[in-house]
Amino acid sequence: MVENKELIRVVEETVSRDDVKYVIGYKRGTYGFQIKPAFAYSAKDAKEFFYSPLCAKNLATYPLLEEKLPLRRGEEAEHKKIGIVVKGCDSRAIIQIIQEKGLEREDVVLIGIPCKGVIDPKKIAKRFPKQSKFVDVEENSNDEYVLEISGTSHKIPKDELLSDVCKSCEYPNPLLYDILIGEAEEEFQPEHFNRVDELEEKTIEERWEYWEKHFQNCIRCYACREACPLCYCKTCMADLLEPQWVRRSVNLSENTAWNVMRAFHLAGRCISCGECERACPVNIPLMELNKFVEKEVKEMFDYTAGLDTEEKPLLGSFRPDDPEDFIS
Amino acid sequence: MSTQKKTELEEFEPNIIGFLCNWCSYAGADLAGTSRIQYPPNVKIIKVMCSGRVNPMYIINAFQQGADGVLVSGCHPGDCHYTHGNYLARRRIATMKKLLEFLGIEPDRVRMTWVSAAEGRKYADVVREVTEDIKKLGPMTKFRREKEW
Repeated sequence: MVENKELIRVVEETVSRDDVKYVIGYKRGTYGFQIKPAFAYSAKDAKEFFYSPLCAKNLATYPLLEEKLPLRRGEEAEHKKIGIVVKGCDSRAIIQIIQEKGLEREDVVLIGIPCKGVIDPKKIAKRFPKQSKFVDVEENSNDEYVLEISGTSHKIPKDELLSDVCKSCEYPNPLLYDILIGEAEEEFQPEHFNRVDELEEKTIEERWEYWEKHFQNCIRCYACREACPLCYCKTCMADLLEPQWVRRSVNLSENTAWNVMRAFHLAGRCISCGECERACPVNIPLMELNKFVEKEVKEMFDYTAGLDTEEKPLLGSFRPDDPEDFIS
Repeated sequence: MSTQKKTELEEFEPNIIGFLCNWCSYAGADLAGTSRIQYPPNVKIIKVMCSGRVNPMYIINAFQQGADGVLVSGCHPGDCHYTHGNYLARRRIATMKKLLEFLGIEPDRVRMTWVSAAEGRKYADVVREVTEDIKKLGPMTKFRREKEW
């Protein structure tokens, strides 16, 4: 369990460093189970930082969103670090970004938090709808979530609210960090992401029916792309007009093209934080695509994303003995 | 009704897009032509400089625009004019094929082969096989772009 006092103390210390510009963390939202990203520019901003199982958001997206204005003549770029509060999956996202040279290791100060899994905001909002005030959730030692709503306290088994991706998480502890808060979590046996297996057992026609139903709903808001820590291209292929890879009209054909493109571009890069699925307003099970690709890539090329900053990118490298049983 | 359906299936001529690399497969297709080898006319060839040039999105876009199958063909491993373009293509197409299969699109619709400049006969065989395969699968309409106004 992460002590908020300890977190605030570490954030204060980090922000006070001369070479740190700001620290990104979590703060309480205004209603329901929503949390907000918090940006601390000085020690007094750190007071509102907190951590609870509600903090699902992957903050690794933010350092890449920072606008870098063109420099005046004689002006030098500011080389200041950005502090980020990272869980296990977030640290893997940072590793993957560093591997792709999107960030330098020196650009970031990582405050690691050992994670016990986060709550799926969609699940908890369904269970306790229409909360007008912020409700904090704590985890007790019996694998239960404890929360208090208007005077009555509720105890809910962890399994019911835990995010699906967290059940199959293999790396709950940050792999890359400068400061670790609290004790590292014990390694636990991750469950298999069984939603993929269920789909694989179906026939090819049934699978298309399933995806057709979901892709038809897609409104192409690109929330999955915006939330994803690894979708950080300056110009996304979906936004290009010349050549136009995906047309802007919202119909099954273009929606399928977009969703295939998104899943393919995350092949060997997705670190399964589940942010795309959480962001999706029409509940497309995007993690099923990502997890499937992750599994296949591991089987075929023995490659796992986000473990080593020195690794070469999957689709930019090769081994002469890659499987080619599909080639005649 | 069933006989009518059968004749429809027999009459179906698949529309296949072939991405052939400039240095091996395209020359192989050329050889098949100059050697006067007979093969089905269903594969529409697009010449690319290397099989590594084939963005997997080309496959998706081909399906959107009315292709029933896609053939990607490059030099044999180790023979690439650009030393390793075909190795990169192999990984990409392998991943894309798996992804398409998971989405419920028959993986046989995407075919990858190695054809060298000397293998005119192999190219003709490949085209024959691909055409047969896709004839069996029937037209690909799963996410074809609707006719525009």
